[in-house]
Amino acid sequence: MTATENIKIEKPPKGASIPAKEGIKKAILGVFKKALETEALDAIMIPVKVPETESYAWVLLKDTTLLENADPLPPVMTIQGGKVLSDLTKHGKINKNIAAVLRPCETRAAVELFKLKQLHFENITLISIDCPGAIPLSEYLAEPEKSKKSFDNVLDKWDGDDAVRKVCQICYRFSLPTLTNAPASDLHIGLSGNTKDDVLLIPVTPKGEKILERLDLKADSSLQKWETKIKEIKKIKSQRRKKFNHDFKANISGPEKFTAVFDGCINCHNCQSVCPICYCQQCYFDSATTKLSSEDYFRRAKERGALRFPLDTILFHLGRMSHMALSCVSCGACEDACPMSISVSQVFSLVGEQTQQAFNYTPGINREESLALQDYLEDEFCEVETPSECEPTNSNEVKENV
Amino acid sequence: MSKKIGVYICECGTNISDRIDIDSLIEEISSLEDVGVAKKYGLLCSPAGKKYLAEDIKKEELTHLVIGACSPREHEQTFMKVCLEAGLNPYLFQMVNIREQCAWMISDKEAATRLAIKYIRAGIKRVALHKSLEKIELESNPDVLVIGGGIAGIEASLSLAGPERKIYLVEKTDALGGMTNKFAQLLPHQGANLSIVKDKIEQVNNNEHIEVFTSTAVEDIHGFLGNFEISVTNQEKDSEKKEFKAGAVVVAIGFGLYDPKETPAFGYGDVENVINALEFETMISSGKIVLKNGKPPASVALIHCVGRKEKGYCSKTCCLYSIKFARYLKDKLPNVDVSEFYQDLCLPDKSDQNYFEEAKKKGIHFIQSDEIEIKDINDRIKVKYKSAEGKKEELSVDMAILAPAMVPSQDTPKMAEMLNLPLDETGFFKEAHEMLNPVATPIEGVFVVGCALGPKNIPDSIVQSQAAAGKILSTLIPGKKLEPEVKTAEIREEFCTGCQTCLSVCFYGVISFDEHKGISIVNEAICRGCGSCVGSCPSGAIKIKHFTYPQLYREVLEALR
Amino acid sequence: MKKQNVLIIGAGVAGMEASQLLTEAGHKVYLVEKESLIGGQTIKFEEVYPNMECSTCMVSPKQQEILQNENIELLLLSEVKEVNGTAGEFKVKVKKKASYVSLANCIGCGACYEPCPVSLDNNFEEGLSKMKAIAVPCAGALPNVPAIDAENCLHLNGKKKECQACKEACMFDAIDFSEKDETLDLEVSAIIVATGFDMLDLKKLSQYGYNQKDNVYTALEFERLYAENGPTEGKLILRDGETPKTIGIIHCAGREEQGYCSAVCCMYSTKFSHFLKHKVPEAKIKEFHSDLCIPGKSHQKFYQEALKKEIEFIRCRNIQDISVEKKNGSLQVNYQNGNIEKNTFKANMIIVAPAMLPGKDTKNLAETLGLSLDEKGFFATKSNELSPIATDVEGIFVAGCAEGPKDIPDSIAQAEAAVGKVVNLSQGKINE
Repeated sequence: MTATENIKIEKPPKGASIPAKEGIKKAILGVFKKALETEALDAIMIPVKVPETESYAWVLLKDTTLLENADPLPPVMTIQGGKVLSDLTKHGKINKNIAAVLRPCETRAAVELFKLKQLHFENITLISIDCPGAIPLSEYLAEPEKSKKSFDNVLDKWDGDDAVRKVCQICYRFSLPTLTNAPASDLHIGLSGNTKDDVLLIPVTPKGEKILERLDLKADSSLQKWETKIKEIKKIKSQRRKKFNHDFKANISGPEKFTAVFDGCINCHNCQSVCPICYCQQCYFDSATTKLSSEDYFRRAKERGALRFPLDTILFHLGRMSHMALSCVSCGACEDACPMSISVSQVFSLVGEQTQQAFNYTPGINREESLALQDYLEDEFCEVETPSECEPTNSNEVKENV
Repeated sequence: MSKKIGVYICECGTNISDRIDIDSLIEEISSLEDVGVAKKYGLLCSPAGKKYLAEDIKKEELTHLVIGACSPREHEQTFMKVCLEAGLNPYLFQMVNIREQCAWMISDKEAATRLAIKYIRAGIKRVALHKSLEKIELESNPDVLVIGGGIAGIEASLSLAGPERKIYLVEKTDALGGMTNKFAQLLPHQGANLSIVKDKIEQVNNNEHIEVFTSTAVEDIHGFLGNFEISVTNQEKDSEKKEFKAGAVVVAIGFGLYDPKETPAFGYGDVENVINALEFETMISSGKIVLKNGKPPASVALIHCVGRKEKGYCSKTCCLYSIKFARYLKDKLPNVDVSEFYQDLCLPDKSDQNYFEEAKKKGIHFIQSDEIEIKDINDRIKVKYKSAEGKKEELSVDMAILAPAMVPSQDTPKMAEMLNLPLDETGFFKEAHEMLNPVATPIEGVFVVGCALGPKNIPDSIVQSQAAAGKILSTLIPGKKLEPEVKTAEIREEFCTGCQTCLSVCFYGVISFDEHKGISIVNEAICRGCGSCVGSCPSGAIKIKHFTYPQLYREVLEALR
Repeated sequence: MKKQNVLIIGAGVAGMEASQLLTEAGHKVYLVEKESLIGGQTIKFEEVYPNMECSTCMVSPKQQEILQNENIELLLLSEVKEVNGTAGEFKVKVKKKASYVSLANCIGCGACYEPCPVSLDNNFEEGLSKMKAIAVPCAGALPNVPAIDAENCLHLNGKKKECQACKEACMFDAIDFSEKDETLDLEVSAIIVATGFDMLDLKKLSQYGYNQKDNVYTALEFERLYAENGPTEGKLILRDGETPKTIGIIHCAGREEQGYCSAVCCMYSTKFSHFLKHKVPEAKIKEFHSDLCIPGKSHQKFYQEALKKEIEFIRCRNIQDISVEKKNGSLQVNYQNGNIEKNTFKANMIIVAPAMLPGKDTKNLAETLGLSLDEKGFFATKSNELSPIATDVEGIFVAGCAEGPKDIPDSIAQAEAAVGKVVNLSQGKINE
């Protein structure tokens, strides 16, 4: 059991302010350009708009001209960045000095994968960025221009627009705590949200500090205004989440309602293949073990009167849920990938939150902390064993994260 | 080869037959796939029953066996032996408990029968998935590495050394004897005196089966029970390196002492003539009990429990040796005034109380006290304390002797890391089982004895050394091969993602990580088959032989149907 | 190495540990036990300190191992009567009382208990319950085979020759009234004495008002009272039918008289408090002690946890001044605390921790074995050795509480140490 959010706060007092007269994205890209030119970084992993289409892809780029089509905060999340970083580094560290620019949920997925030893941080500078959400992939592809406009609008106002995905609307981890003693990323990009005049580069780890040093950027701007704004938005989103979860829970609780949610599942396993946390080499549900003999199919059909195919779709989702619950970062990739528009990520996010609260664990928020199931604490869940003798391990209140 | 499962239901006299309709049970399960024979018998565990079973297994040429009878606790071993006699691999057998879990639980015969059928069916379906498991044998080296040349290490070496067993005794300082080298006299347990220790050191040095390495540090140990590889370096001779093999390791690295400076109230280092117990032992050795000014003390305070509060445990030995000091003082300086300031007198050995009573008769004052504070006031030591009545009192003395808590040796964390041994919350090594297995550790073949496990006196340390010797002598027998557990964990390479969660849960430290392949590896020679890793593996890459997922799944499925 | 025979006297935790280990070393063990079941005192405990582990769960695998070990010949209801010879070739006579129940035939179904017309005090349960003349004394006893109490069996003592109720109830032909006591002649190369301890009879200390009627309990009585397999199946029902509400626990009973501290009472008394507080959270508990003897790295923490649960520990000026009296029908503890004020504590239950004594057969056994006793009556060990395992007779070793009061791990360590000495002896290696 862990409690990062109760860790004594050790924060960098200041960040480097980058003027954003031509817009925040330009400002950020300018910094990256300089970093590549001065060889402070050998390459950058960043979303780039694919020429000729409206899609975005992750590109590991060295050539600064490619930066022109790059977007540190694209309107959609086509591929979860944590997963990409895992692909890049899983089989050992890389020898080049690389930065990756990720949304908070992608950063947290990366940290979870790091803890699961599916990703290495050596020579990687992880840059996280405040995120107002992402447009549902299907809506974006249907009407790209309209979606881009709505996204710009959301980025402008920072809230209140239901153009973004449902999980984004209720996401209160759209930013990351920049605790030097409990880091997630190395450098965090704070978008001040209200002024649009500048962006803040906040060094979290020595690696982050080093980058700023190499770029001759001084961390001398106060974070106060940014923090106040973040707190404000967080409060609104937390309340919205609370209300949403309350209603949503009522809609999916109980075997009948729950089954109904997944009724449309066509067993394509898209949700599994896009999930950053689903990292097994071979999934049980894709293995031969799940296929029964025809005798068994007939027996089951006989017992139940009829047998529906594909078999055991609920079991698949429950199985995945039990595996993912403690590490689910609510990134929404599964829901974007679902051809049947099942509210997968909303269910997973709700179940995940409750499970994580039981362990007092927030996935991916602190790379120094071990996975919830890897720590054995004697008093953990003593309320299960000896309820009369202990304080409950946690409350069911959503904790406010500073 | 096609399967032929034999199912035998024991009537257990009338214990099972009274409550379960065995005939209809047999009828029900006879038609199941692969069931070759299904029979009942009066009492299968009786000599006649076992003989019948063995003959039937051979006659019917059974490939698998299911027995419905009592709890496996009672007779699983019995029937596994019958399998062996009949030439059937004992792991192709499944015992189903229809006595304690059906007959004795349910009074309604029909319901009990229904349940028994489910359980037997579960056993049949499970056994069909069983694989035969074969015992393997491993060569083992009978030699032993003993780390630490204190009294515990010396005793372990002497108890273990023999013509067929070489002992490597490694000591980091330049002499054997450990802490006893700093003692002027031993406590009176069993009439002990230091000459016994000297004799033992002599015996070690003269023993051709013990190779002593002094001024030597253990650099690396890897391997497992029966097959450890060790490298040591001599700290003096240009770091000369030596490598050897051993079958077991005894860790006897002793203890350290709490530094009284950590609690300024005791005045150690500040107040003149406040000394610690070891310094007083040195004084006894020199034969001169004198203050800094060269004069003998007229009054002495003995302060017990220095650091007890801070460390959170009682060090067991301090009461008695403080009494030893007091008695020595009284004998040496008859007019000296001696006061013992204690919290609780801890005198657990049967002869301790006499020793204490005698001290009282010599006029030594025993003051039950707390909140001790030692101050220098006009060049005299002032001991301030809270008395048993709860009053603040004080006493002026010429000398104060502190009895500091025993703490883990400074080498403990390093040694723990090298051997993959767990420490407990006090920082001492942790036993394999605090109650039942006090000198073994979770790592098979590695033992910890003496004060490395926690504070204790010399007799208890020696008993532990002899206990470790007893375990090694009985289990690591020269020429005898080791028979590791057969129901071990197995990691399937194609599923393992290399997340190393299993490493963190394995209590016995038998899983390692193969950096090259990026997967975890189980050392099946020392795996105990507990299954923790199986439960922890997020990818389901680990299976435990005889308890595989398909076997369990099938069994549960049938039992619940 | 030649396989040798070793005699182990006493099948408590120390004797069981030594037996099992010696067979691993390739020897054959004769395990002599005077009772009809194995496990010694440890199986009477519900939980052990300091981790509150279930004691019977902890020990029963060991018991099973002993029963299933082909190289251990278990001699129940047996006593060593004569020992001749020297190390390597002791000749031993063991008297084995008839149990009248065949270990081979009996399956432990218990069908014979019910029909038996005799009802007796169950000594294993400290007299807190009754048992039949044929029965195992508690649920889970191992081996799970009853013995007939010949003195009280109506058939065997001749009071009602025709009574065969148990024999008729047994469907396995396990009861054999014709079985006779027998004397076995054994040849062994070494002997380990692990006969354990007894408790001081509280009736001898009148100040505690112990009379087996009021709610004054000895420590062992309380162990059985709260045991799940005990006379009340773990329900805390006192002799007067009440449940414990105010509890006084008195340490060190008989310490002054015996002249030694029994090493384990402070800890198990604290264990009682933990247990009582767990079962009866509103209970008010006071422990009356002199010096707290809680050596060992994990013990003080156990005590401190008790303090956190508001269990009151009262240091008494003089433990001999504590007395229990019944006033107006209710019990009270009279004591003096550190301030030497006279105080009383009204309690509806009192538990007294009596001193541990040498087993009552110790003196006879010492004579039989040619061993000497120390001044406290425990077995004496070789005076010129630093560890208390070897005796003055070569080839005879002592382990566990037969040597003096101690806890379970220390007893086990001594048993393992004794095994080491036996193995060395068998290889012609003699220490010293």
